[in-house]
Amino acid sequence: MKKRAWKLGAVLLAGLMAVSAGACGQNKVLEGNLTEDEEERIRSVLLFAPMEKSDPDNENVSRTAFDITVGMAEEQLGVTVEYRTYTAENYQEKTYDEVALDRARNNMDDFYLLNPDAIQALGEEGKLADLSGLDCAENLREVVRTANTVNGKLVAIPQEIVVNGLFVNKDMFDKYHLELPNTPEEFLECCRVFKENGVETPVGANRWWLENFVLAQAYADLYNGDSIEEEIAALNNGKAKYSDYMRPGFEFLQELIDKGYVDAEKAYVSEAIEGEGPDFLAQKTPIVMAYWGAANADTAYGKPEFNMQVIGFPSKRGQMPVVPLTGYGVSAEAEHMEDTMNVLDVILSDEALQVYTETNKVISPSKNVQVDCIDALKPLNDRINENVYVLGSNANMKVEQWGNTCNIVRELLNGATVEECLAEFDKLQEESLKE
Amino acid sequence: MKKQQRKEKNSNGIVLIVPIVLIFCILGAFVFHVAGRISREMSAAAIDNLSESLDLIRGTIEAILEKEAEFQKLIAREIELMEDPEEFIQSYNGNETMVKVSLVSAGKVQGVTNMGGTFDPEELDFSGGKMVEGLPVSESYVNHLGAWAYTLKCPVIQENKEAATLYIEYIYESFDTALPNRFYSSMASLYIMDAESERLVLKPKGMGEREAGHVNLEDFYRANHILEEDVKEEITRKVKAGKNVMFYHDIQKKRSLVYMWAVNDGAIYLIGYVPIEAIQREGSAVNQNIFIVAAVMLIAFFICCVLYFFTQRQQIKARKERELHNRRLAEALQAAQVANKSKTMFLSNMSHDIRTPMNAILGFTVLLAKDADHPDKVREYTRKITTSGQHLLSLINDVLDVSKIESGKVVLSIGEFTLSNMVSSVDAIIRPAAKAKGQKFEVTVTGIKNERLVGDETRINQILINLLSNAVKYTQEGGSIWFRIIGLPQRSSQFEHIRIEVEDNGYGMTPEYLETIFDAFTRAENSTTNKVQGTGLGMAITKNIVELMGGSIHVVSEVEKGSLFTVELELRIPEEQVDRNFWKNHEISRILVVDDDGDICRNVQILMEDTGVLADTALSGEEGIRQVCRAKEQNKPYHVILLDWKMPGMDGIETARRIRAVVEAHVPILFLTAYDWEELQEEAAQAGIDGFLAKPFFVSAFKEKILELHAALEDKGENNESAEQDSLEGCRFLAAEDNEINAEILLQLLELEGAVCEVAEDGQEALERFQNSAPGEFDAILMDVQMPKMNGYEATKAIRGLEREDAASVLIIAMTANAFAEDVKDALDAGMNAHIAKPVDMGLLKKTVRQYIQRRE
Repeated sequence: MKKRAWKLGAVLLAGLMAVSAGACGQNKVLEGNLTEDEEERIRSVLLFAPMEKSDPDNENVSRTAFDITVGMAEEQLGVTVEYRTYTAENYQEKTYDEVALDRARNNMDDFYLLNPDAIQALGEEGKLADLSGLDCAENLREVVRTANTVNGKLVAIPQEIVVNGLFVNKDMFDKYHLELPNTPEEFLECCRVFKENGVETPVGANRWWLENFVLAQAYADLYNGDSIEEEIAALNNGKAKYSDYMRPGFEFLQELIDKGYVDAEKAYVSEAIEGEGPDFLAQKTPIVMAYWGAANADTAYGKPEFNMQVIGFPSKRGQMPVVPLTGYGVSAEAEHMEDTMNVLDVILSDEALQVYTETNKVISPSKNVQVDCIDALKPLNDRINENVYVLGSNANMKVEQWGNTCNIVRELLNGATVEECLAEFDKLQEESLKE
Repeated sequence: MKKQQRKEKNSNGIVLIVPIVLIFCILGAFVFHVAGRISREMSAAAIDNLSESLDLIRGTIEAILEKEAEFQKLIAREIELMEDPEEFIQSYNGNETMVKVSLVSAGKVQGVTNMGGTFDPEELDFSGGKMVEGLPVSESYVNHLGAWAYTLKCPVIQENKEAATLYIEYIYESFDTALPNRFYSSMASLYIMDAESERLVLKPKGMGEREAGHVNLEDFYRANHILEEDVKEEITRKVKAGKNVMFYHDIQKKRSLVYMWAVNDGAIYLIGYVPIEAIQREGSAVNQNIFIVAAVMLIAFFICCVLYFFTQRQQIKARKERELHNRRLAEALQAAQVANKSKTMFLSNMSHDIRTPMNAILGFTVLLAKDADHPDKVREYTRKITTSGQHLLSLINDVLDVSKIESGKVVLSIGEFTLSNMVSSVDAIIRPAAKAKGQKFEVTVTGIKNERLVGDETRINQILINLLSNAVKYTQEGGSIWFRIIGLPQRSSQFEHIRIEVEDNGYGMTPEYLETIFDAFTRAENSTTNKVQGTGLGMAITKNIVELMGGSIHVVSEVEKGSLFTVELELRIPEEQVDRNFWKNHEISRILVVDDDGDICRNVQILMEDTGVLADTALSGEEGIRQVCRAKEQNKPYHVILLDWKMPGMDGIETARRIRAVVEAHVPILFLTAYDWEELQEEAAQAGIDGFLAKPFFVSAFKEKILELHAALEDKGENNESAEQDSLEGCRFLAAEDNEINAEILLQLLELEGAVCEVAEDGQEALERFQNSAPGEFDAILMDVQMPKMNGYEATKAIRGLEREDAASVLIIAMTANAFAEDVKDALDAGMNAHIAKPVDMGLLKKTVRQYIQRRE
């Protein structure tokens, strides 16, 4: 026992001395070229995207999910995805969409995250590359392919199908014994009750998303009927008028504004969520509109202190989700085209979309990826599963819907009349007929 | 002592621990100090390094701006020489640096641009007053490319007059290629800020975290929690003055350096932050290495300490073992010295004690030879020689006993015995001695439930005799001795728990002597007790025997007041204890006990409980008579009546007489008395007493008495026959004895008894003599054990092995000085029939021989 202890101690001491001696002996001079090859070192693709967060301490789940997929691409391909971004300081400055269009048209970046109107505009201009050759394109749902195919080219692919809906405070509805509204009339009645009970502004709004009310009412029949192609053809050849489709929605918005259910002045200058979000979370406003992902945990409306439900926008066909398909578009003259295409193939692969969808709890554009949604989103999800929805944009329509409607609604907020707004649609239709 | 040693050990431990802790503290403080100094130096170096990097970036950007301005001036000079400068402008194709070129002629509000259309200089804001190489620079704005841009304006001079103004638009993104790709391994963030509008106009590639993007300075503050108003005010003041700013702040929970680096006299700023850990990467590595080295040193030190402590412990252990060994040696030496001293003293005592009787024996033998013609004197001398011889024998027995006990060779001889027999035999020995000294000797037995017990009767006898003979010895004439046997509560139903008390009111003992009373070779020494002879071994023997039996012995004593010895023993109860049929067979179911001592009456009742016999009691003679009469009237007569002799009022004799008149003649009336009844015998017989029963009362003694009474009726001539039978008249013995004197004594003694004896000098001769003898020639062979040629055991085995009819049956009695229990056992094992110790007790020999001869017959 004693001998063993001595031996152990001696071995330990010898080991320590050896380690120390070894550490001293490591001071050898490194030889050869110590720097990496420049081209090997810098292989990057440039993305223009709006999703940068301003508060680094606050995790943004959506962005985190995107970053995970980008990380997968960087690891697999050995490239770096660099960002450019733009955020308007106020409503008077250029919008993200405007800047994105400018940059895409001047080939400033390799790929862009684009809203539906920008996709359609750039697609029409031939500024976006055809993505149909990507492996990931084969797994797309048909609705995505249809919405983002411009002049026979698949110009953008999203990581999620963005579904817009109404976020309602169910506790406040229950408090005043109100059923969740299905039709515009029911919606107005709910607003009346709220207003009479002291809710100053029953509908919280911003300058971006009121168009959902208009689109839901305008195209509920079109997208849920049996004659989609015929109706679109009629609009494209001028036999039918966009303004006729848009009228009920604009009149509805006008009524909301006139009756004080929406604060038009505030909405006109408010950015998404920033304007109406705090009042909604403080339970001063029972109704706001937002995209699907905003209901998930760690996002804008992820942790409300009340029973929140997400439903479709009111229409004569009941609650109607609005699906404005966004997507990543690649500049037709991208400086790093090959790397960019490879990056898209990775971040839009089923594997990456599975991660993205599970992280964000959203609807995947891939028909191979399915994820359960949270309870609050079930009403909206049910409608989607029933194939009841309205597209926010449709490349088959010659008049771009998402951006134009947004701009014209903004004019309504700024004091234009319904007729003036509808005249804008007629004007756009006339221009489209000339092309 | 132990406490002191522990204290010393603890203090030694503390003495060692304190310097160790001190060394650890000093080492820790040193490492901490060095690490801190390295951190500070590295931090200062890193700040310098950061400043240099920022200066480099600033220099790069300023160089670009200056080159842009110089190039613009060059173009302006070229335009000055052109005839149609507007055409030149319109024909220019923008590149990545100069994205837009415009020319506004003097006096015009709008001008031409290479983008087509008109150019309105009013759309640009040059109010900031910032210049590059003397050219005014506009505020930043988002241009038609969707990129943040600025414009420099340069006058076109013709004929010393400003003929036009050249506006060239540049985008910040063009800086990107000139800036580093990674800044502090992408851990640092860097933005270019337009100072006037405080908008963040460019985040160069690879500058900081990808997901952190900000709109303007306020957003930068908010995002990075730079909320202290004084800090913000200080920054604003510095920025307005075009000064650099660098300060520490926690960003994303990391200690960071925040910087605002002025470019182009503060027209634009480089802003951002670097976590300290990014700056001090080398410092951290150095510190880590220092800590590793320190840890390794500490571990080595710790191992050394452990080894040191281990060695120390081993040494201490070895030292303790040595100390213990030495102490034991010293103790052993001391014990040996004490033992030696004791034995020297013992030998001295023995010499005295042996020489004293030996002196008497030899002296009287001389006198015997001289006065052989005077029979009275001869008798007197022989009596004294016998007494001295007996004393000498007891002395030798005790010495041998002690030797035997001390060497651990004593074996208890376990067997059944009755307390009554034991008490009566002890009583028979002690009472005469007590009586001789005029002492009162009282024996009481109380609370004993089982008088038949299992144990070594001889040894218990030895204990009792030792204690009682000591009591007699050490009590003055006329004193009192109490011998009590008390039944204690049983701890187990299988064992009788008894306490034996021997009390006297004699000389008593001093406390000092009490401490050594049970040690061997000690004897109370004082003027009184020196008159008493003894070996000084009795109490040591007694204590050893008691402990051998699993019991305990205690003594309390006071000088001149007396002593009390208490022995407690637990003796097993035999399985078949009670013969219930005995009483039934003898038709005894009721008895009467008449005694003025209530305790005795109660004791009889207790002892008779298990027999099924009802014992009534009466505390006086009169009451006894009344009870007898009442029983007779009720036709429930007593079958035995026990009477005390001395009672107040009517004594036992009178009571017996009256009871005898009432009861039938065959009902035994027995005297229950502690007194010598010989003087009463005649009077008692006349009063109708059938017999005597010794106190204390024992059931077994009672049963024996009943049997005796029945036997007496049946065979009255038995005593005479018995006397005849005990005689050795006509017996022939073969004695194997190598000692001539012993052989002669034996021959003489047997001759006196009328027996004939033939002597063989050893075992071999005895064997041969027996072989040559006729069958039945010898009634018994008296076999010594230690003999030359063939010892007694071998001879016995050989005899038993002979093919003679009487070889197996001839009575062989060991007659040897080997007197221990083991010797008896060995003798029996060798095939002998009995064992008689030397010196030969003729009574015992006669009894033994007669017993075997009768059995054979």
